Amino acid sequence: MNILKGKITAVKTNGNLSLVEIDVDNISFKTIVVETPDTASYLTKGNIVKVIFKETEVIIGKGVEHAVSMQNKIVGKILTIENGELLSKLTIDIGVGNIVSIITTNAVQELRLQVDEKITAMIKTNEIMLSE
Amino acid sequence: MIHIAVQKKLTAVEGEMLLDVDFTLEEGKLTTLYGESGAGKTSIFRIISGLLKADKGLITIKQKTWLDTEQKIYLKPQQRKVGLVFQEYALFPNMTVKENLFFALEKGQDKKIVDELIAIIELGNLQNRKPQHLSGGQKQRVALARAMVRKPDILLLDEPLSALDPKMRAKLQDYILEVHRQFKLTTLLISHDIGEVVKMSDCVMIIENGMITKQGNPIDIFTNQRVSGKFQFSGEIVQIQKEDVIYIVTIIIDANFVKVIAQEDEIKDLNIGDKVIVASKAFNPILYKI
Repeated sequence: MNILKGKITAVKTNGNLSLVEIDVDNISFKTIVVETPDTASYLTKGNIVKVIFKETEVIIGKGVEHAVSMQNKIVGKILTIENGELLSKLTIDIGVGNIVSIITTNAVQELRLQVDEKITAMIKTNEIMLSE
Repeated sequence: MIHIAVQKKLTAVEGEMLLDVDFTLEEGKLTTLYGESGAGKTSIFRIISGLLKADKGLITIKQKTWLDTEQKIYLKPQQRKVGLVFQEYALFPNMTVKENLFFALEKGQDKKIVDELIAIIELGNLQNRKPQHLSGGQKQRVALARAMVRKPDILLLDEPLSALDPKMRAKLQDYILEVHRQFKLTTLLISHDIGEVVKMSDCVMIIENGMITKQGNPIDIFTNQRVSGKFQFSGEIVQIQKEDVIYIVTIIIDANFVKVIAQEDEIKDLNIGDKVIVASKAFNPILYKI
């Protein structure tokens, strides 16, 4: 699990869903959850929460400019690449800490990803969980 | 509403312990007592059923006072409408299933209830057998039916399923829930199995050294960090395998196996036999009609 701590800056609720914005040291994360401030008291502006996402949900884009629907785009630097037969594990320095991404070894080769390279880590809005 | 407030000095393995609990139970709900052996759970059951005298206390069940030490009210065990099921089967060996159920009837009680219970708990094929010809699971079904004959005001289940294998357990849990709902019972369960507690209970109370230390919704109580993932189950780790740069963890949830991908640093704290919460977001699972 990738776990980052941040502060809730906005909560937009519609029915049972809430779109939550969290600031993690000036990096903004957006997540959609099946909770509302009524069902989860921690969904309050200003609250400190954990932002949790699975390594396998972190997409890697080469460089910094990407026109994609993904709302969570974080620029970082590859620290390590551990190549497996099918899957590879990348550790990425995003300034506020490290996150891990698991992508296919094929993808690492096709993108010719290298240590120290500047990349963009991307996570879909619905793949981020929150915890108190 | 059921109100139980009792105190009793108990002699435990580590010396004397004061059992001191005060709780209310909402009618029609299933509440579980969870805690280590010797924490006082079974003593609470024995005090409710009148088999053990409290030093001080009050038990009111559906506006009837069963115990009030100040007013010197003390109903005898046979005057209390309690249904009890223990881990041991405690059926009369010389009687058939049906005779065991008839024997539990009160004087003048309508015998119809016995057939009703045989139907609900699906004992039809077993009703003329004697306990020795029944499996452990079947015996517990009979014990459950027998506890229900007098339509108890409170059903007390003291680890009724702990001697059964997981598959049988899951089936019996369904029977208990069925009976609990059909008869709108107020049920107290003692269980050590978190999976069982989460599946069965509306509320759980954690008992430590004779005191209730926590109570609430089972998921909230057993989840240390309240994760927003709506796809949550609790289970037990049965296997951890390394594959490539990741690990595959197999978890048994009720009688189903699931596999979850994990990282090396997560595995560090996880061992086979550990209880875990498996959580995912409501957005990921798909539904496939069968």
